[in-house]
Amino acid sequence: MPEIISLNQISKTYERKIALSSLSFSVNKGESIALIGPSGAGKTTLLNIMASILTPDEGEIFIDGSPLSDFKDQRKRAKKIGVIRQQFDLVGELPVIHNVLAGRLSDWGVFKSLLSFLIPQDKQYAVKALERVGLMDKLYDRTSILSGGEQQRVALARLLVQNPEIILADEPVASLDPARAEDILDLLANIAVEEKQTLMASLHSVEYAKKYFDRIIALKNGEIFFDLPAASVTDAHIASLYKLKEQA
Amino acid sequence: MDKSWFTFDLHKRKILTMILLLVFILSLFSVEWNSNLIHSGGFETAKQIFVALFQPDLSTDILLLAVEASWSTLSYATAGMSLAIFIAFIFGIPASGVLAENAKTKRIMRSFFRGHLGFMRAIHELVWAWLFVASIGLSPFAAIFALAIPYGGILGRIFADMLEDVPREPILALEAAGASRLQTLWYGYLPMVRTSIISYAMYRFECAVRSSAIMSFVGIGGLGYQIHLSLDDLHYNEVWTFVFFLIFLVIIIDAWSNQLRKRLVR
Repeated sequence: MPEIISLNQISKTYERKIALSSLSFSVNKGESIALIGPSGAGKTTLLNIMASILTPDEGEIFIDGSPLSDFKDQRKRAKKIGVIRQQFDLVGELPVIHNVLAGRLSDWGVFKSLLSFLIPQDKQYAVKALERVGLMDKLYDRTSILSGGEQQRVALARLLVQNPEIILADEPVASLDPARAEDILDLLANIAVEEKQTLMASLHSVEYAKKYFDRIIALKNGEIFFDLPAASVTDAHIASLYKLKEQA
Repeated sequence: MDKSWFTFDLHKRKILTMILLLVFILSLFSVEWNSNLIHSGGFETAKQIFVALFQPDLSTDILLLAVEASWSTLSYATAGMSLAIFIAFIFGIPASGVLAENAKTKRIMRSFFRGHLGFMRAIHELVWAWLFVASIGLSPFAAIFALAIPYGGILGRIFADMLEDVPREPILALEAAGASRLQTLWYGYLPMVRTSIISYAMYRFECAVRSSAIMSFVGIGGLGYQIHLSLDDLHYNEVWTFVFFLIFLVIIIDAWSNQLRKRLVR
């Protein structure tokens, strides 16, 4: 499998706190990676840097061989990288269909995106995506009346419409109960496999990381603590990863 | 030695409170407490006005006049408000800086448009009315412009603040999905502030009705003008009829606004 993401000595410091200290790793196309680690380990910072929301203080990121700075134009970037976070990502005041069709905005001009409010454009994309996540009946519902799990499905549907090569998921199930969390992760992992996408998700739950992902990268204090295939991560690894300082 | 009985906590704010109280009490001594304090005939007039409250003039002539005056007050307010909303969007959206591509243009745009909005609302609508009456004469346009400019300034400022206070996450998500600045405005900012904008604009519309009644004192017809005429003739019961019509207008708009909000929030 060819390499799709490559991080080279990425560092990021907030005020005086080191968030990431010279992080390097590479990801092959089609891999699914779980980022785990204690709170404040730098998981969100890393994902935000890869999504171009933050810029690293040092180091370079290559996407498909070209530096991330080549993707300054968000239209071009959206084709490569998609982002999903907790359900606060949706515009609650809009009907579900417009939140899903927002995945098409990188292809639409100003006029078409305006017209879409009156006559939804490329509606078949939204219909197909919502069918895939099982929310076909909510097409015209106001997004804010949906439950947390349903809203996260809408966000997944938007990602399906956007169809990027890489999906970055930051705590995608943090605010969901276990049943809904598994449901969303299952859907996310399946979509990534079927669409041949590369998936990278930060998680709090080690159990989910082992169940739904091939490779686990553990971060601690801004450094890679271990980087192993999911199957070979042992309880001892996990125990030392989450061990509090006082006990050390 | 224990001095706790002496050093009771004299907080700065308590000192200020005491000073202000002292100033207030001292100020009472400078008032001349004699019969000249209130105009001697004033009490009689106040009584007449109060009695008239319970006997508003409900004759057909006055009612018809009141309906006509209400209609013109309402139409000035509506026309002024429509123009104000237009001004508010034209100036408010750039003033919020949400369309700016980088920090520098954002700073320039914000200060330029916020400055203009500030100028518009720094001058009261009555002063604008004088200026317009002086320049374009006693035409309805004078009243409409006089309302639209300061109200546009106020609304634009509030719109800009609302747009700036929108939660960041959905906007970042839209940008990650490839939305341009203008698209984030349509798909993120505007839907998120829609309810607050409508409810604030409705509140301002209510204010505009009251203001447009006052505006008619300048000599442009309407409820205020009728109140003015009836007061001059000492017809207090007519005054109350017109005042009740004004209250009625405000209540109707308030009810409409509530109903609209309920439908939007659901």
